[in-house]
Amino acid sequence: MALIEQLQRRVVEMGLVPKIIALLPLVSMICAMISSLWLATLPIEGQFRRTYISENALMPSQAYSYFRESEWNILRGYRSQIEHFGEISNNERNEQMAEWLQEFGAKTSIYNNEEYGDSLYGILHAERGDGTEAILLAVPWYNAEGDLNVGGASLGISLSRFFSRWPVWSKNIIIVFSENPNVALRSWVQAYHTSLDLTGGSIEAAIVLDYPGTNDYFDYAEISYGGLNGELPNLDLVNIAVSITEHEGVHVSLHGMTPESINDESYWSRLKILLCGIYRDAFAGLEPLQGNEAFSGWRIQSVTIKAHGKEGGNNDITTFGRIPEAMFRSINNLLEKFHQSYFFYMLVAPRYFVSISSYLPATVVLTAGFALASLNSLLANQYSNLSFYSHYNLKALLFWLVSILVSFVFSQLFLYVPSTILLVAFIVVMLLLPLAAGRLWTITEPLSHRLQMYAFLYMSLVVTSLMMVNFTLAFVVGILAFPMTAVGTQRSLTFKKYALLIISNPLVSFFIVKPHPQLLQKLISAWQDLGCWTWFVLCLGWLPSWTLIALSACSSTNLDPVATSKKEQ
Amino acid sequence: MRLIGMVQLIGIASWIGLFSRVIRAVEAEGTSLGFEIDQDIDLQGDCNESLGNYKHNCKSGFLSNEGGSETEIEVTETVIEDAPQPTINLRTREDDSIAVKDQIWYPYSEHLSIKPLPKNYLLASFDFDTQSNEFVPGKPSTDFDDYSHYTVFPKAFKPILDQTSTRQLHLRFTRGFWDAESWGRLPHDGFKSGGSGVEIWAILEADSKDSAFRQWKTLVNSLSGLFCASMNFIDGSKTTFPVESFHPVDDTTLPLFDQNKQLYLVRAALANEPICTENLTPLVKLFPTKGKSGITTLLDGHKVFDSSWHSLSVDISTDCDDQTERCSHSLQALVDMVINVPNTLARSENPIPKPLPGDKLRCDLDKPHDAFHCFQLPYETEGSYGLSQLFGKYIQGSSLMSQEPSQVCVDIADSWNTFIQVNGSLFATTDNCFELKDFQQQDIYFESNNTNEVVDVEPVPVYVSRSLTGYGQDRGGLRTVFVNPQDEPVTLIYFESLPWFMRIYLSTMHLEDNPQSPVNISLDDILQSTYYMPAADRVRPTHLEYKITIPANTTLAVSYQFDKSLLQYAEYPPDANHGFEIESAVITVIEPTTYQLRTATLLLLLSTPDFSMPYNVIILTSTVMGLIFGTLFNLLVKKMLPVEEADKIQEGNGLRNKIQLFKSRIMAKFNLKRREVKTDLKE
Repeated sequence: MALIEQLQRRVVEMGLVPKIIALLPLVSMICAMISSLWLATLPIEGQFRRTYISENALMPSQAYSYFRESEWNILRGYRSQIEHFGEISNNERNEQMAEWLQEFGAKTSIYNNEEYGDSLYGILHAERGDGTEAILLAVPWYNAEGDLNVGGASLGISLSRFFSRWPVWSKNIIIVFSENPNVALRSWVQAYHTSLDLTGGSIEAAIVLDYPGTNDYFDYAEISYGGLNGELPNLDLVNIAVSITEHEGVHVSLHGMTPESINDESYWSRLKILLCGIYRDAFAGLEPLQGNEAFSGWRIQSVTIKAHGKEGGNNDITTFGRIPEAMFRSINNLLEKFHQSYFFYMLVAPRYFVSISSYLPATVVLTAGFALASLNSLLANQYSNLSFYSHYNLKALLFWLVSILVSFVFSQLFLYVPSTILLVAFIVVMLLLPLAAGRLWTITEPLSHRLQMYAFLYMSLVVTSLMMVNFTLAFVVGILAFPMTAVGTQRSLTFKKYALLIISNPLVSFFIVKPHPQLLQKLISAWQDLGCWTWFVLCLGWLPSWTLIALSACSSTNLDPVATSKKEQ
Repeated sequence: MRLIGMVQLIGIASWIGLFSRVIRAVEAEGTSLGFEIDQDIDLQGDCNESLGNYKHNCKSGFLSNEGGSETEIEVTETVIEDAPQPTINLRTREDDSIAVKDQIWYPYSEHLSIKPLPKNYLLASFDFDTQSNEFVPGKPSTDFDDYSHYTVFPKAFKPILDQTSTRQLHLRFTRGFWDAESWGRLPHDGFKSGGSGVEIWAILEADSKDSAFRQWKTLVNSLSGLFCASMNFIDGSKTTFPVESFHPVDDTTLPLFDQNKQLYLVRAALANEPICTENLTPLVKLFPTKGKSGITTLLDGHKVFDSSWHSLSVDISTDCDDQTERCSHSLQALVDMVINVPNTLARSENPIPKPLPGDKLRCDLDKPHDAFHCFQLPYETEGSYGLSQLFGKYIQGSSLMSQEPSQVCVDIADSWNTFIQVNGSLFATTDNCFELKDFQQQDIYFESNNTNEVVDVEPVPVYVSRSLTGYGQDRGGLRTVFVNPQDEPVTLIYFESLPWFMRIYLSTMHLEDNPQSPVNISLDDILQSTYYMPAADRVRPTHLEYKITIPANTTLAVSYQFDKSLLQYAEYPPDANHGFEIESAVITVIEPTTYQLRTATLLLLLSTPDFSMPYNVIILTSTVMGLIFGTLFNLLVKKMLPVEEADKIQEGNGLRNKIQLFKSRIMAKFNLKRREVKTDLKE
């Protein structure tokens, strides 16, 4: 204690406190810079680790996979029928598939959903299992790009037939044919946990197959793993997917990059994968879903395996089928749910990952930046010794509460009226707020400082709490909102400050990084159909702070005599 | 030196082992008759001798696909025509060396019934019945003078039954998925199979519920050792006293030895307790044939537990004669199993279901098919196989000690033929029941040109399925779907015992809206009586029983919500992340027929702590405690001073000051000494 005391006295003696207070805006800016740089250091050798299978029971590719030879003929036999499925209705497709599934003993049922499309599912009961757990194979009829998933569906049925002959299963096998990989599959998952009569126990893992086209050969496999709301499948599942795919001699791609552009040894390649991962996760629900996202939230670990290209030398469709086969064998070994490995991680290469302890500080520093900006608004002006109960402070608190209330109404309004025109009108009104200040109303200088203090404090809290559950969204929101801290408060708004204010508006900045004419509809449907919080993070987390900053950016002359006299001195 | 000593030791030990085994064998069989030992030896010889035949039969008989088999089949058919009635001469002793003076029969009978099911499945039901000698009720068995002879009744049971005053005992070991939609009713109308795992219920005579529970504990612990199952884990938190379910059909036959006491029905289940060879072996050992002859020879753990569904059950009851005032126990043990025939046959050829060679694929010729394409046809409908192929063993002889020889009955449709194979020839009977011959190696053989045509499966009165619903780890829901496919309403009793950490809210129990169900139906209309015993934490489970009527051709879903409680750290099992098994619900149909079925078990996921957490907590707490203690201690012990004064004191306490002080002290000493010297000099 004596040491701290000494230190504190030295700081006081040297007069460092006011100096630091004066430097607060700079320090806050440096925090944001450190935050971005921190991410950039993650792909440096030594910052990431090589992935490993944490759960010993998994043993990927330890058993020989037999989905080969004459199974290919069977698969082609099914494919010759499925090729024409594009011409018939969903209903007919499902009924035909159900008939085939029943031939080898699967119990089938069709989940009817008029809004999103029907889904067919079949359950192969494990002969020796207890029937309380299941592994799921999902095949959307049409994939994310809207192509008929001919290869995937043929694989789905021929793999199920193949699985039905094996006595090894300890978990039931569920196979789902949904109309598409997003809402239709998601609504089936929801129904499975609420209202379906035919169930096969708790789903441990799900693998979504995407093999569009009728080609026998493919180039490489893409593994998608990111879920909704920052949820990721257990790293062990991603690891076995990567390890099995590579074991079958197939190149792995992540986040839509080609395997050629993925180079484990290159910093830039690793950085690119990292940034692509952050981008995909932060905007999850806004991009077309691959299928694995549909299982987010029910403690189901899931990945999507997608075949790319048409002429890979040795990679034939049964090679692709052996990936889910070996994964099923591997998951089948599990006695407990996936819990051994990481749930929070970022991949920098298929075999390299960054653990949460390495990347979390990036956002921690960012929230510290907001906290310092808040401190700056509190201390770096002559109103720092205003009491908490001063009317400026209380008024600022009231403003903050009202802004949250208004933002809530705003968010609810668009749930009912998702109209882009209305949104643009609202944004224009919002952007005119600072210009109207001084003309329609006046915000006194002490009040504007207090408003900014609460705005940044709230932002810091929002980003901190979001960071725990959805790191990527927290980071992106934090970085995009950071220009707010440089707006400050002044008599008349300069163009630079106004520009900062515009680009830090939640909706404007989201549109800048994710330009899409239907962005609003996507945000709303992501919440309504998929349960993605992004819209509410923007409206309830970011917008209130921005509103306070916009109101306080332009303050009128000070009316407080005490403060004025101080200033004159 | 040492090595030689070791070898000698091993030699001696193995001799002792062999000797004791011989003695044990003699002792074990000695209780019955001498010829048993002979028979045993004889059988062994028979076995070895016939091994050649066995192979020969397999090759030339019906089993091979080669051309030669056809002629063989023809031969058998002529045999059938020649001998329309079973020509098997009962009780013929082929070996004259066995001297049996009197026909000594024991109350033991065994029966195997086989029934093909749709889609190439086969149901095999083994039935073993024994009866104990008569005894006088109420006489304690611990009496030294008491002479008890058990004959064929398993010796292990009687003392347990006596000690715990058990009048009825029912044990079920079941595993697998019974496909009621295609297989129809469960064997014995479901009254002889349990839920997945182990299930046990008993009727005990006791003076109070507490003493009944104490007896029950003794009973399950004894049985736990007897059947190598974890029944010793049954405690109060798993035990229920059923109110309407599980009651014997007529209570009047149950004897009460002491009129001051009462009968208590106690039940418990261990969901998903693995059922395996170690449960089957003790069961087979209960029978006098002990897996050595008769139909028990087929009961091999490898095959029984390879089946799609299997159930082992033991039922013991006490029957008394009012006139003679004597009682006896009767024991019925059943082994039921469903075999997937094509898979089992394929597995005996090649244990790994490898891809078929291209020429063995059965392609649909109406669809594109060539060297690359093959649209597979559904399963094969022609088949011929023998029991020995399914069980990997032949039936060795019959049961010598029962009055009736062991019997095998086959329940087949017209498109099927079945034969018994004895000594390489096949015989058929009109009723498809075969009596097994003593000392002969036998096999039952089936053939059909349409395996799909089976004896009509009896429709199930009601389908019931149950599932967990919900999202998250603090609450959930339980949803039970009743499907009545019949044209008449079905009344049933629903029994459910849930662990205490599932806190159900009965108030949330409701009928789910179903577009297919009649609109104006409410739960009150169909629910007739409810018995609900709420759970007590760590003491007793939730016990729910209700009687409900499902209207004709209706699907109903009853659901209710529950909270998941947190367990104490030490209460989590070693595989906490597996989840907690919830035992199946038991549905007893009482109208229009009697039938019992069970839902599948469930896996409940509770929030599971990270088990390294306590150490983190300890470390954090200790740090905080340390900080608080340090501050408090400082406040209590140290003096409060203004800063200036403290600075002054600190100046005096600085290192430089201390050196100065030390220096001055030394100097002072020296000075003092000098002064002293000086003073001395002065003096």
